[in-house]
Amino acid sequence: MRNSSSNCRRGPSLPDLAVAELDDEALRAQADSLGLALRVDELRSIAERLGRAPSLVELYAFDAQWSEHCSYKSSRALLGRLPTDGPDVVLGPAEDAGILHLGEHEGERYGIVIAHESHNHPSQVVPFEGAATGIGGIVRDVLCMGAEVVAVADPLRFGNVERVNEHQRAVARGVVDGIAAYGNAIGVPNIAGDCYFDGDFDDNVLVNVVALGLVKESEIVHSRVPRQGADFVLLLVGKATDASGFGGASFSSVALDAQEAQSNKGAVQVPDPFLKNVIMRASYRVFSLLRERGVEVGFKDLGAGGIMGCSAELCSAGGFGAEVDLDTVNVAVDRLLPEVIAVGETQERLLWALPEDIVDEVERIYNEEFSLPQVAQNARAVRIGRATAEQHYRLRHRGELVMDVPIDFLTGTVRDTLPAEAPVPPTMRRERDVLSERTLDDLFHEILAHRDVCSRAPLYRHYDAVVRGRTVIPRGEADAGVLAPIRGSRLAFALSVAGNPRIGRIDPQRAAELAVYESARKVVAVGGEPIGLTDCLNYGSPRDPRQYGELVAGVDGLARAARGFGLAYVSGNVSLYNAAANGHAVPASPIVACVGRIADLSRCVTLPLKEVGSHLYLIGETQRALGGSVLASILGLADEAAPEIDMERAVAEHRFILAAAREGLLRSAHAISDGGLLVTLAEMSFGCVAARRAPIGIELDGSVGWSSVGRNESLFGEWGGVVVEVAPGDIERFEALAESLESVREIGTTTAEPLLSFEDEAWEIADLQRSWSRPLEELFL
Amino acid sequence: MKARVAVLVFPGTNSEMETRDLLVDCGADARIVHWSEAASLQYYDAFVLPGGFAYEDRIRAGAIAAHDAMLDAVIEGAQAGKYVLGICNGAQILLEAGLAPGTGEVRRPTAAFTHNAQGHFICERVLLRRTVAATRCAIAAALPEDVLIPAWAAHGQGRLAAVPSHLEEIDNGDFIVFRYADVAGATDAHFAPQGSALGAAALTNREGNVLAIMPHPERDAWNFNHLDRSEGDDPLAPSGGSVLFESFVTALERR
Repeated sequence: MRNSSSNCRRGPSLPDLAVAELDDEALRAQADSLGLALRVDELRSIAERLGRAPSLVELYAFDAQWSEHCSYKSSRALLGRLPTDGPDVVLGPAEDAGILHLGEHEGERYGIVIAHESHNHPSQVVPFEGAATGIGGIVRDVLCMGAEVVAVADPLRFGNVERVNEHQRAVARGVVDGIAAYGNAIGVPNIAGDCYFDGDFDDNVLVNVVALGLVKESEIVHSRVPRQGADFVLLLVGKATDASGFGGASFSSVALDAQEAQSNKGAVQVPDPFLKNVIMRASYRVFSLLRERGVEVGFKDLGAGGIMGCSAELCSAGGFGAEVDLDTVNVAVDRLLPEVIAVGETQERLLWALPEDIVDEVERIYNEEFSLPQVAQNARAVRIGRATAEQHYRLRHRGELVMDVPIDFLTGTVRDTLPAEAPVPPTMRRERDVLSERTLDDLFHEILAHRDVCSRAPLYRHYDAVVRGRTVIPRGEADAGVLAPIRGSRLAFALSVAGNPRIGRIDPQRAAELAVYESARKVVAVGGEPIGLTDCLNYGSPRDPRQYGELVAGVDGLARAARGFGLAYVSGNVSLYNAAANGHAVPASPIVACVGRIADLSRCVTLPLKEVGSHLYLIGETQRALGGSVLASILGLADEAAPEIDMERAVAEHRFILAAAREGLLRSAHAISDGGLLVTLAEMSFGCVAARRAPIGIELDGSVGWSSVGRNESLFGEWGGVVVEVAPGDIERFEALAESLESVREIGTTTAEPLLSFEDEAWEIADLQRSWSRPLEELFL
Repeated sequence: MKARVAVLVFPGTNSEMETRDLLVDCGADARIVHWSEAASLQYYDAFVLPGGFAYEDRIRAGAIAAHDAMLDAVIEGAQAGKYVLGICNGAQILLEAGLAPGTGEVRRPTAAFTHNAQGHFICERVLLRRTVAATRCAIAAALPEDVLIPAWAAHGQGRLAAVPSHLEEIDNGDFIVFRYADVAGATDAHFAPQGSALGAAALTNREGNVLAIMPHPERDAWNFNHLDRSEGDDPLAPSGGSVLFESFVTALERR
């Protein structure tokens, strides 16, 4: 990693890298001294293609553009295995964000723009800024599709935050504070997310972020120069370019060394949500100007690779070359090196490709109407170059040509073929008499208080869930967040995320499948019809065959489950090298987000029990599979198999639940996930208190002694399924609707007495709630 | 003719759209006015300052915005008896501008909504009850008697603070229009989720034409926002938190 001192101007005499004249060892040493992550063979292929020694600016440009972060060189071939098309797909994973068809309102078709990113490495090094810039970056990905940004969600994986681990606790708090500080300020509600804690994330926390936008399908803006765009003006908008975030792309593409972490801080960008708030609003104004004029344009977020990466991709995607004059860029400090201006990743910047005749008006909106230069020092919209018919990417600095390369060579596909070792998951499915040593009461309380199960309220209450006033269901009141994005319409969407690292550790493929199943199940539990997915693949090093094998298995699992549920991925992200210097990687962490369509928001379903005297049904089949469950982790059962998904049955169950929700037959619903059935039931009762009502009790039937799989597996297994509450008067219709579905069974009733009772046990709801609600308070309050 | 209401946007404001939408749904002719359009403010009948982080909460929440040119029009209007409603960050700005409780000089704040007791942003559902006579504050005058207003506390700086003697003056002078309440309608300082002095959620001025309310009624203001929706209601119809906006519009129409 280069350090910040390299951001000062060197003498003009420093030569280009004489690749051809150096042997491999000398070349590696030279490249290292320049802080280049490019491999020797890559350096040679650059020199060969250019037919000369590459300039320093060119080297840093290729270093960013060919990094894992930008090029997906280890994963691109695998990603081709994922289904990306379907009836609800408006735009698959080709641009900054994907788009799903939500529905129609007053004759207009509306799309939901969705992007899913990670900001893992930066968040490990500087938690607050790393997590904040994660929100900032993804919001731009959604904005640049011409969309109004309407929601964000955060899947988080922290290390072991027991009281002795002050560092892990500080990281977790910093991440949550960073997300809150940024998301709250820009005014985008945070409506979903999840959180796990595990010592295997001590060296690499995972900070994923999902953002959603609303766009009329007739008004989508693409991340490419349009066909007629030769000579289109490149208009850079936003924060003045500085030396922050130099080397960000290649920083995200190497394993983290704790000792180096400190010196990597310069590679992390500095967030400015205040400026972003204004840029978003100004961009909405530009969108309406473009609508009035009917002009086709290109718009793209500046992320990895900075001005160079963005302008090259924006132009080459449209079949053009580009020419950029670095001297025209608005900078925060004088005498920045050309490579820093070119590839530095200063936040809060976007790039337009506009026809000449509209540029002045767009500039005026940003610079005068929304007065960017007054909002942040030297922030503004400024012309920096043009799209060119000639297929070259050229950068000028102080009148000199400092970069001139074939654009398709710069932005083209680089692929690595890597050896993979298939993981061997445990297959044990024996019945365990685990309760012989522990009482049921004792275990239940421990599970409720487990960090992967207990209330997340102390965390998410830091986030604004309701700004914009369009939130139908905020986090905590149901399995998925629900938002009504179109004023005057009953159309709404549901958003959920899932990805269980306890499963990831033992069975990478199953973990991916279960992540899809859980995210879809949670959307279904609020009455949402799943319409599409995104994925973020968080893994260790692709250079380690075992860790790469986990990625391969994960992609296969994602593909298999999505096909099973008839869903496609419209966007995603790959985050590799989530490993410490000693090689220790995070558990395989495929994290999935699911978007659901709710045609009539008056039919969505929340989690708290509503009435005494209701009937409770379980929809789903129990399994003898404790692998990856909270119970297994408490009891130290490491060799149990993870649950399997009967996809055909799960699809039928989801169809049934959605039909029942549409008919208004579900008073409440809650998907079974971490902790299992008993936890699910308890949480439905706790929900009454949050809903300002007296807690409703539950009396479970004797039938919960259940079937062949054993009591513990029934009560604490994490095999999926959903619990629903049905009014006595609706039972006939509900059961008729279930038809031949065998996996629907009544399991109990709701009672006025605030007890959860089962066989000889009768727990006070208030006691259970105490165990469940408090564990994270000491960390996040 | 409908009352013309300006919804003010400072750099950093983030709740202007829902605030405008709710005012429109409650019968006002409400428009969003940007900081670069301050000169147009004189033509409006009333002002609403929505939530957000004007000027990034620099110095203190609301401190810079209180000196923005837009506040010249607001202060002048308030002194001439125009109605001014500030919500969340808007409330903080009104306190910084000295318009609420308004016992001192203009732009010399006497009290503040400052950092929450827990030291960070909180986002949670709250209930508000009017604890002064209907006639005390014109903006809240048309509320149904004993109504509990649902709202969201969503702020990092929502704790009323002032020197004890001034808090006494605020309390005795019936400046606290709304206090945090429980589901039974009882009010108690303990119900303020951020430790606000006197359990205060909203302050007026002596004349009762200014209301600075910390929680957001406009975020629980349509049926679909509510915790327990009853079936059969039009999910898109205003209700709940909208009663305050209806009262505001009624007050404007009665003038």
